[in-house]
Amino acid sequence: MTTDVVVVVEPATSSGQTSTASRRAAGRSRGGSWRRLAFGLLGLILTAAVWQLVSYVKGDPVILPSVQRTASTFWEYLSQPYPAVQGKTLWQHALVSGGRILAGWAAGVVIGVAVGGVMASVSFVRHLLDPLIEITRPLPPLAFIPLFIVWFGIGETPKFLLILIGVVPVMIIATVSALDAVPTELVQAGRSLGASPLWALLTVRLRSALPPIITGMRLAMGGAWTSIVAVELIAATSGLGYVINNAGVNLQTPLVLSGILAISVLGIVFDGLLRLLHRFADPTTR
Amino acid sequence: MTLTQGLPVSTAARPAVELIGVKKHFTGRSRRAPKRVALDGFDLTVRPGEFLCLLGPSGCGKSTLLNMLAGFTQPDRGQVLTDGEPVTGPGPDRGVLFQTPMLFPWLTTLDNVLYGPRARHELTAETRRRAVELLETVGLADAHDAFPHELSGGMRHRAAFARVLVNRPRLLLMDEPFGALDAITRVAMQRFLLHLWQREQITIVFVTHDVEEAALLGDRVCVMSGSPGRARAVIEVDLPRPRSIEDTETLEFVQLKRRIREALEDDH
Repeated sequence: MTTDVVVVVEPATSSGQTSTASRRAAGRSRGGSWRRLAFGLLGLILTAAVWQLVSYVKGDPVILPSVQRTASTFWEYLSQPYPAVQGKTLWQHALVSGGRILAGWAAGVVIGVAVGGVMASVSFVRHLLDPLIEITRPLPPLAFIPLFIVWFGIGETPKFLLILIGVVPVMIIATVSALDAVPTELVQAGRSLGASPLWALLTVRLRSALPPIITGMRLAMGGAWTSIVAVELIAATSGLGYVINNAGVNLQTPLVLSGILAISVLGIVFDGLLRLLHRFADPTTR
Repeated sequence: MTLTQGLPVSTAARPAVELIGVKKHFTGRSRRAPKRVALDGFDLTVRPGEFLCLLGPSGCGKSTLLNMLAGFTQPDRGQVLTDGEPVTGPGPDRGVLFQTPMLFPWLTTLDNVLYGPRARHELTAETRRRAVELLETVGLADAHDAFPHELSGGMRHRAAFARVLVNRPRLLLMDEPFGALDAITRVAMQRFLLHLWQREQITIVFVTHDVEEAALLGDRVCVMSGSPGRARAVIEVDLPRPRSIEDTETLEFVQLKRRIREALEDDH
């Protein structure tokens, strides 16, 4: 009996299909990624070349230092404190900024997902909060800096809150739209296979919404970096934003560029980790 | 066939599905929109082990009917019974196959099949063995670790079959499951379904808007009228089993198709 059915559905053809399909997919992605890497590197090298050319033509390290001067400054301040008295190394400044980002972002993600989850399931909460989010969303968090300094001083609290208010609306919107996009039938499929309502909510609805929520986390992370640097420009004695601002006031352009470089490296690292998480959550992108 | 012998005698006597005076309407989106009556006093009985096709134009309430049998929605009035018990909610005793396979894209084929047992906290080595066996039966022995997006359309449908069958349902509810497939794959899936049904002796309620599909697959074809949905005619299909796609070229089949089509087009 069993063999009958197998013969009928032609397993040989079907399995042949899978292996060719997966082989083709693998080939495409591998070849594509090498190409992408090569072009990406080329873009970076071209940018550095233009930079070098401009700095050579200008001949003024305050306006634009050369690539190797910037690189050596970066290297130097990895171990040397800035400012020289009671200062921190670039590493430590980066740790301070990174810590602030992570704290505000993580809290914002938790709040955003929780509020978004409730909004997606309870319609009156959604109607209640929707206008509020629409009003606050276009406001740049930086507009609140003076207000927060008046309210909370220049300690860590206003910095944390500024990142938070940048992250929360992004995460709410990402969560609500991710949960809305889950097809009803997918949850029904889970229920009719014997899942309890709670089990289906956790293992189907939320699980299915996870990849777009992670994309929201990536966007929010980018927003967090913009606000943290702005905050540290105004009211801080440590952090990469502080380094950039202070070095700029003292016309230490190579150090300004080093600070910018450090931010972009940190940004790439954080985003890379989140992309890894996304890959893990969504097998179709593997 | 072994399955029917294992069933208690009492269930064989009861109808597998009973719909008695089922009414259902939907409220319109806006307050001014009139409420739409999807079903108005619908009666139907399905015998155990029967293959029943629900045929009708879109919007005649056939999917609503299936959703009520699955337990996703409740009727406004009337009774929905499976195996003599009123339907109160979704459950693994009634397997549902949707228009698209609705596999969980983050799970491998095997994990998709094991979702039901896991969700009910009934995953045993025996269930796992059965899942592997079922995947073999549906021709996916090599695709245990493949994700749904790596499978072809027909393979996804067969994986969805295995996911439902692992729960040993007594009733299969199918909502135009092959509508989105290309003609060649559809024929293969129809053949596959007939073999599966003959092997497992399961009751099937199959929704379709394709006259030929209904005539080829069903023991009876319930022809439904447009909104509000009512059973217009129930046509016995007396073609011999096992049937195959070649039967669609016989004179009896063509005559049967005409009878169904006439019932469909009656007083439109």
